Amino acid sequence: MGPYDSSISSNSTSSACSSSTKPPPPQQPPEQMDHLLAGAGYKVRSNDLTQVADRLEQLETVMVKSSPGDFSELGNDTVYYNPTDLASWVDSLLTELNPNVTVHGSGPGDVSDPDPDPNGFNNNFPVNMNNNNNMNMNMNVYGEFGQQVVTPVEEDVSIRLVHVLMTCAEAVQRGELSLASLLIDDLQGLLGRVNSGCGIGKVGSFFVDALSRRVVNSPQNGVVQVDLSAYENEILYHHYYEACPYLKFAHFTANQAILEAFDGQDCVHVIDFNLMQGLQWPALIQALALRPGGPPLLRLTGIGPPSMDGRDPLREIGLKLAELARSVNVRFAFRGVAASRLDDVKPWMLQVSPKEAVAVNSIMQLHKLLGPGGPRGPPIDLVLDWIRELNPRILMVVEQESNHNQPEFLDRFTESLYYYSTMFDSLDACTAQPEKTLAELYIQREICNVVCCEGSARVERHEPLVRWRERLTSAGFAPLHLGSNAFKQARMLLTLFSAEGYSVEENEGCLTLGWHSRPLIAASAWQAIPKPSAVTMGR
Amino acid sequence: WGPLEKFLMAGSNEINANEAKKVVPLHTWILISNFKLAYNMLRRPDGTFNRELAEFLDRKVSANTVPVDGVYSFDVVDRSTSLLNRVYRYLSPENDSGRQLGAGIIELEKPLSATEVVPVVIFFHGGSFTHSSANSAIYDTFCRRLTGLVEGVVVSVNYRRSPEHRYPSAYEDGWEALKWVHSRSWLVSGKESKVHVYLAGDSSGGNIAHHVAHRAAMSNVEVLGNILLHPLFGGEERTESEKRLDGKYFVKLQDRDWYWRAFLPEGEDRDHPACNIFGPRGSSLSGLNFPKSLVVVAGLDLVQDWQLAYVKGLQKSGHDVKLLFLEKATIGFYFLPNNDHFYTLMEEMRNFIRS
Repeated sequence: MGPYDSSISSNSTSSACSSSTKPPPPQQPPEQMDHLLAGAGYKVRSNDLTQVADRLEQLETVMVKSSPGDFSELGNDTVYYNPTDLASWVDSLLTELNPNVTVHGSGPGDVSDPDPDPNGFNNNFPVNMNNNNNMNMNMNVYGEFGQQVVTPVEEDVSIRLVHVLMTCAEAVQRGELSLASLLIDDLQGLLGRVNSGCGIGKVGSFFVDALSRRVVNSPQNGVVQVDLSAYENEILYHHYYEACPYLKFAHFTANQAILEAFDGQDCVHVIDFNLMQGLQWPALIQALALRPGGPPLLRLTGIGPPSMDGRDPLREIGLKLAELARSVNVRFAFRGVAASRLDDVKPWMLQVSPKEAVAVNSIMQLHKLLGPGGPRGPPIDLVLDWIRELNPRILMVVEQESNHNQPEFLDRFTESLYYYSTMFDSLDACTAQPEKTLAELYIQREICNVVCCEGSARVERHEPLVRWRERLTSAGFAPLHLGSNAFKQARMLLTLFSAEGYSVEENEGCLTLGWHSRPLIAASAWQAIPKPSAVTMGR
Repeated sequence: WGPLEKFLMAGSNEINANEAKKVVPLHTWILISNFKLAYNMLRRPDGTFNRELAEFLDRKVSANTVPVDGVYSFDVVDRSTSLLNRVYRYLSPENDSGRQLGAGIIELEKPLSATEVVPVVIFFHGGSFTHSSANSAIYDTFCRRLTGLVEGVVVSVNYRRSPEHRYPSAYEDGWEALKWVHSRSWLVSGKESKVHVYLAGDSSGGNIAHHVAHRAAMSNVEVLGNILLHPLFGGEERTESEKRLDGKYFVKLQDRDWYWRAFLPEGEDRDHPACNIFGPRGSSLSGLNFPKSLVVVAGLDLVQDWQLAYVKGLQKSGHDVKLLFLEKATIGFYFLPNNDHFYTLMEEMRNFIRS
């Protein structure tokens, strides 16, 4: 296939190679997406093309009639969803302008086919495969007055550093430990020659550290990371929260979606899969307080690890939040559920009442369930199953946008090297201390887990949005699209950060936050499709 | 706008839609109409732009270090300018050895080739200085094709856009990108061991390519050729093609005017030298070491008279320019490989660069 090939986005279809005399069998199932428009980022069923064209024509006429001379009115207040689904995008504009027009065919969010990725469209632009190679060039070496100076020598050493890191990881993969050890010595030497305060020097040193731990301690079985105390975990988490916008974006976007899902509901119940310090909830409580028509009764169930040191952190946070709720006149009840693993939680512990609207909130938690399963089956399936049984109005999922769960060590190593380089790059922009250093330690623990650990000790099993979509769809959830208002507000949040490199992108109804053009965190919202049989809750 | 005008407008739009539909393949019509209508919503009469909604609507794709049809890509941030360049590279099947994810890194230690000349095309995406990005899906797809076509490297520049960043921001970003490309040891090729640079761009990108080439010529920085794909030029005068084709094939003259107002310094008019190259305020190119040019004009583009004037201007200045006039082509004909003009263009670009 040459560069003229019409489907640059798909390797899989080819009708030209058949040498039989019969005409090739029709390769296109009825739900086939059009290749050409896919290359432009749009998903339109081949069968719908003429209809979409007609609608576009209609839309233009209606636009002209409704506000001749100034179409920008349409851009101001209306909320839009999932522009990739061109058919429903056009239809939603048509209904917006002309509510009396009945729209036939697909509705918003309705591009559901049995195979969500028939052309391999997602596989060929997998978000997890991209990288930000700025670690290889234009390394920022700070001059005396904070200027950025690039020295060619520095660049060569950086490139070499990455090259040797990869070679060392390859050696580890092949089990050649003595070679790996020698390479680690090399790496230490190279680290000494780059500026380890920033850029590749900084993140490189964490990876060298992780590799050397793996080489020294039973590499086949991986190391077991030393657990930090709950208190130490909280400190690192809090500083990570302050130093960069990833957690804030997660909380903010989740709260938006939850707020919308709770519209018109008088009794609402939020289940937080990882309460931590409850940083997400004051904003939601205040937003509910200001809701037109008054706040609902809010129940919050916070899940967290059992405490080892006699404190009851869940209860402490619960009390603080209750205090806040009282001060803004929101009727509030809190319940803590201590569990070391999410698959230890049973639905009855959450005491969900049938009258409540339920929101399940999972910020960077679901990936921990992708490890080896026990006798009851894969933990992720168990948990998604009981979530579904709760019949939540919204399941909010925020996850790291990368594939750190590949079976081959080398693939995981490479992927995480790119991912965390980008993340560290974004952290470079933060100057506040000790926030920055502690945030780096927080990230370092993730790196160590991905690189050094195996089996059930390896909990940081990040998977990209593409994979989560597959999982959640097969587990009986339907997407709830995050729209242009959430997008706009996320961008406004980012302007609070002086670093100009963060980018929010819309991805088929989900939002991602990244550094420059590399998405690092993906937020998606889901709704449970009720099971066919009668649902019993709160057993 | 009285009530009568509304109906006249509506009527003429129906006629226009039908005309365009006769000439343009279905997919292209859908794609460009979609852009047209969406863009209508983004431009405000007061000259401001709804950037949030624009970014929300723009379909973007990530870079991919795994070769697809022989082309892989990665993004580089130039720290001194904070600008993003997306680099595409063609790997012929024989060269695609070793683990793919690593290939992107390892190759950057060496020049592109010690013996062969490998072209590096600096590409400036279109969007009337206002829309799109280097990582927009339509431009990522186009750059991948271009990379495979020339069997080399394409560097797509994410220049700063108007109205937030007016003239001369985009030109400065283009100039920085040119210097950056020339200074990359890993883009060097051939026996002379230098970077073999071409400039290319569509619409506003073509305009930027011209200005960067001009500056390069004045500063003795080598550019081997310019490819301008229906470049955006203009002037105060209303030309015959502008009057004849106004509103007929996706573009209205008043839209063009809006984009110039958004790009040019406030208070300036379209005879500004950024816009009207060989007009009353343009400077002469005679005697300069200006690169050879391939100028592609779409026969149904209302801007064509300005593009043809540009070609004449280059010829009069004694420079080598080839005009590719595609009679039945509309703007954006090169986004989808579903028409003859697309293939003609590919052939011409290939010959221009490989010759």
